[in-house]
Amino acid sequence: MADTPIIKAIGLTKVYGNLPALSDANLTVMPGEVRALIGSNGAGKSTLIKILTGAVSPTLGRVQLNGETAPLGDPSEMIRRGVACIYQHSNLAPAMSVLDNMFLGRQRAYRFGLLDRRRQRKEALALLEKHAIDLDLDATVANLPTVKQKEVEIMKALALDARAILMDEPTGWLAASEVAKLHATIRALKGRGVGIVYISHMLDEIFAVCDTMTIMRDGKVIAESAVADIDRPRVVALMVGEKLARESAQATHQKRQPRGTGEVRLSAKNLTKRGVFRDISFDLHAGEIFCITGLIGSKRTELIRTFFGSDRFDSGTLEVEGKSVAFRGPTQAIAHGIGFVPEDRHREGLMLDMSMTENLAMATLNRFHRAGLISLRKMVEAGKRSIANLSIQPPDGKRPVRLLSGGNQQKVLVGKWLNLGPRIIILDEPTVGVDVGAKAEIYAILRAERDRGAAVLVVSSDLEEVMTVADRIGVMAAGRLKAVHDADKTGMDEIVREIGGDA
Amino acid sequence: MSAARTSIASLARRIGPNALPIAILVIVIAFAIAQPAFLKPDNLIGIVRQVALVGIMAICTTFVIMTGGVDLSVGPVLAIGGLVSFFCLQLGLPLPIVLLAGLSVGVLIGFVNGAIIAFLQLPPIIVTLATLSIVRGSALILGGTDQHIIRDEPAYSFIGAGTLAGLPFSIYLFVLVALAMIFIQRQTPLGLLVTAIGDNERAAYLSGHRTRMTKTLVYGISGFGAALAGIIQSSQVHTASANYGPFGTELDVIAAVVVGGTSIMGGKGSVARTILGVLFLGIVNNGMNILNVSIDIQLIAKGAIIVVALALAELK
Amino acid sequence: MNIRPATFALIVFFAAILAFFCIFAPRFATPSTFENLMAGFSFVAILAIGQSFPILTRGIDLSIGAIVAVVGMVTFDLSLIFHLPGYIILPIALLVGTLAGAINGLLIVYLRLQPFIATLATLATYRGLVYAISGRQLVPGLSTTPISDKWITGLENYYDVGGWLGLSKLIGMPWFPLSFFVMLGLFALFQIILLGTRFGRDVHTVGGNFEAARLAGINTGRIIIAAYAISGFCAGVAALLLVARLTTSTEALGFGMELTAIAAAVIGGVSLAGGVGSVFGPALGAFFLGVVLLGLTQMGISQYVQQIITGAILLAAVGYDRLLVLRRQRRVTANISQVAADG
Repeated sequence: MADTPIIKAIGLTKVYGNLPALSDANLTVMPGEVRALIGSNGAGKSTLIKILTGAVSPTLGRVQLNGETAPLGDPSEMIRRGVACIYQHSNLAPAMSVLDNMFLGRQRAYRFGLLDRRRQRKEALALLEKHAIDLDLDATVANLPTVKQKEVEIMKALALDARAILMDEPTGWLAASEVAKLHATIRALKGRGVGIVYISHMLDEIFAVCDTMTIMRDGKVIAESAVADIDRPRVVALMVGEKLARESAQATHQKRQPRGTGEVRLSAKNLTKRGVFRDISFDLHAGEIFCITGLIGSKRTELIRTFFGSDRFDSGTLEVEGKSVAFRGPTQAIAHGIGFVPEDRHREGLMLDMSMTENLAMATLNRFHRAGLISLRKMVEAGKRSIANLSIQPPDGKRPVRLLSGGNQQKVLVGKWLNLGPRIIILDEPTVGVDVGAKAEIYAILRAERDRGAAVLVVSSDLEEVMTVADRIGVMAAGRLKAVHDADKTGMDEIVREIGGDA
Repeated sequence: MSAARTSIASLARRIGPNALPIAILVIVIAFAIAQPAFLKPDNLIGIVRQVALVGIMAICTTFVIMTGGVDLSVGPVLAIGGLVSFFCLQLGLPLPIVLLAGLSVGVLIGFVNGAIIAFLQLPPIIVTLATLSIVRGSALILGGTDQHIIRDEPAYSFIGAGTLAGLPFSIYLFVLVALAMIFIQRQTPLGLLVTAIGDNERAAYLSGHRTRMTKTLVYGISGFGAALAGIIQSSQVHTASANYGPFGTELDVIAAVVVGGTSIMGGKGSVARTILGVLFLGIVNNGMNILNVSIDIQLIAKGAIIVVALALAELK
Repeated sequence: MNIRPATFALIVFFAAILAFFCIFAPRFATPSTFENLMAGFSFVAILAIGQSFPILTRGIDLSIGAIVAVVGMVTFDLSLIFHLPGYIILPIALLVGTLAGAINGLLIVYLRLQPFIATLATLATYRGLVYAISGRQLVPGLSTTPISDKWITGLENYYDVGGWLGLSKLIGMPWFPLSFFVMLGLFALFQIILLGTRFGRDVHTVGGNFEAARLAGINTGRIIIAAYAISGFCAGVAALLLVARLTTSTEALGFGMELTAIAAAVIGGVSLAGGVGSVFGPALGAFFLGVVLLGLTQMGISQYVQQIITGAILLAAVGYDRLLVLRRQRRVTANISQVAADG
């Protein structure tokens, strides 16, 4: 049986509307193999995983599990055949106990569906003991800290006794010691012939625990290799594409402007939010792009939200253009000329069913009305200008934003804030789920804003991105700003070391 | 074959947004054929007059539903609006003050609803269910179960019962409210903001809008509509009573809004569509009355219309 | 089983309010008050127990009042027009209620209607149906004929439990109405289903995290349909109890009861956000409302003030629930800070 792959995906293709999210992708996982699945955001990894869990049915292609062709698009079918998944986002029922969540949808039961709690508890305890994980089975999941919730998710997958486990960024919320524990668990599973697909942005983890890797870009599988046969620069070049790698190499030679014009636009001193971040101090200057990088969970997003007034800080001072401020809401921040592009454009950024023009005008509505009346004409004209400037495709201002591609949606979101002519613009993961072309355009927009004299603050996990656009780089880990570098005086290696140092 | 299919698809796309006006037209023709009396001007005016009360409330509550909320308290607010006006008349206050008092009670209750929902973030269904009970109790304390007769107040009675240029005055009010709300939706930032909140409240907040104030305001508008309907009704029937706007009124109002095509989840919708929904339900009602359709079929038809209208909207 | 703080608070409030009225309301602490309480609010509790299921799946059922009327009228017709024996009528009546509920579920799952809208539509439709099948209209003269079938009227019966147990000699004990025992039976049944069966866990999962439920392979459609069917079934039971008491049925039976049931469920700590709650809270919530209303009546406080107080209780209940959520969020943040401090 060792020769039969646990998962064999053949020619998987998924088209949303007319946008291919995945084209002709193959993936094979043998028993006892840990396969890394890597690629930038939007490379098609999630779509591939969703097909394998049955959450999405592919447009074309088929999947064989243990040599049998599996019906697709039905989660229960995939679970029955032994495919489990640890998702990036929580897939727990928050009001239920840990024990119930471990057996979600597969509660052990006697006849008439009566729960066999004793058996369930016994199995759960055995499992916890085997993997040396400490969890209170009766605790309500919603009351647990996020790290513990992640452990529940892992236990939930393990409780399946799965033949194959898909792990989508499983270490995003875990501290270094816990990552090591997870990796030990993975090796133990591997020893028992379980096949694992491991998705991560952290190359360190991949080189530590994976046997083979599949690299994806733009919805296609572009390379497969044994981990032992490949080195990091090659992996990065494959991930981002030769063209972007070359461009970013050129960009690296572009003139960096650490500290820009020297004028301090925003200054944080000992900014602290209890239990979230501590003692953050730095200056953001006009005419520079300042990138903050770090692991997911290093509290970068939480930090920059306080600059925009959508979260509060507990102590320390925040100065905008020399004046001490404590914003009570975005309205006040915007009045100070601050724009904010949130990470999750669907949940926090865009009104998906409203038109492009309306979305572009959303932050600057007061410019389009006089005596309380809105001037649609002015709004449409401003929209047209933005669409032309940002070359948004298709250039149809009436089109609902939902129908645009990820890259164009992101351009609309950025454009909304550019209309403000911001003095400070803050962007959280500005190129998540954006194709390579749009990425380059967004970088160009950021540079143009910098050259206009705005202060640009970018939070990004994507190191390539950071190295490409930053004038200065701040590294955050576990709620602290560990280091600030001038981009022209540092390298990828140093940053990587600091990010992973002691998360 | 494929050409035929595309043309059908494009036809469906073109009809889609206009389904309701077409349905209204079809129904009017059907009723007119079945019973020519349906088309008499008196009857048509009667329809509009009949729907004016529910219409005003539905129009004013459209914004609430567009923000993803709901207002169940319109029935008792209608009652208390009429009662307060009645007592102000008793006190011999001048008409503008009477109207102002009646309307501000409604607006105030709406503001309280909205403030609790927006600032304390409690579910709208429960909050307005609670105020439904509270306002009804208050109205009963104020007026008991009696019907208070409004006599010798020609100016007040004109509001609901008077005619101007051959048309009932209440129709003018209905049209006025409709035009005003369409204007607010299309020409002021509030209209855009309501859609934005319903579509993505978090994004609207992060775009610097005062979403909680807006939500409070929107419930105030809904309260205004209910109180205005209460004033018109008390003037029309020359009595005020705490039991007006019985249980079920709020559901009729919501039905008119959603049949018009405003999504109960918020976001999509418009005042103009609500007006179509109101007219559609009014015409169906009237037509069935003229054809002597019994109450059972009328109720079943109402339910079926809601299901079909929303299922069709879901298909698109 | 650990008791949720909301449930615990309700028990405390219930005991406190009961004590309050026993002390301050004249003639409250008498057997007849408790008899009235049990007779008058058992069916409200049954409706609230049923209503919990749709709310647990993050839905709502506005049609239960109308279902009560439909089942009542079916019973009326079968007994007085078709002269069927009660032991045949009872299962048919319950089946009709369950079916009416299942139709709600089907509309929600297959036509993807919002629960609020779907049950609003069936509210109108079922009310229409009541008029269509009303034996009062079809056969004039029947409206004054009482239902005399023993199987049905037998549902309105009182038992001297205190006498059997010999407690009556010590203190005055109320006679317990059968409807109270029916309520207890349904409560026990659905509490076991909710907490002790796979189906119950799946109901919680669907309401708590729909996507997780789907990905865990739970047949979400079936769970939702079943939840509404249970709501319909409970409405059917309540209808039979009401018909037994009135020995007849009217077109207006159950009018407005959906809102009382929803209020009882919310007071009982079932969260409209789905996935949180049991059927113990709603049942107790119904009697909580009952105690307050009866107590206030006996204190001579007008019905109108009672309506205001009912509304205020409802607001307090959701407000308290919200407070618990906020406190929990703060505790989670504190937990994280603990972890950060340790790391």
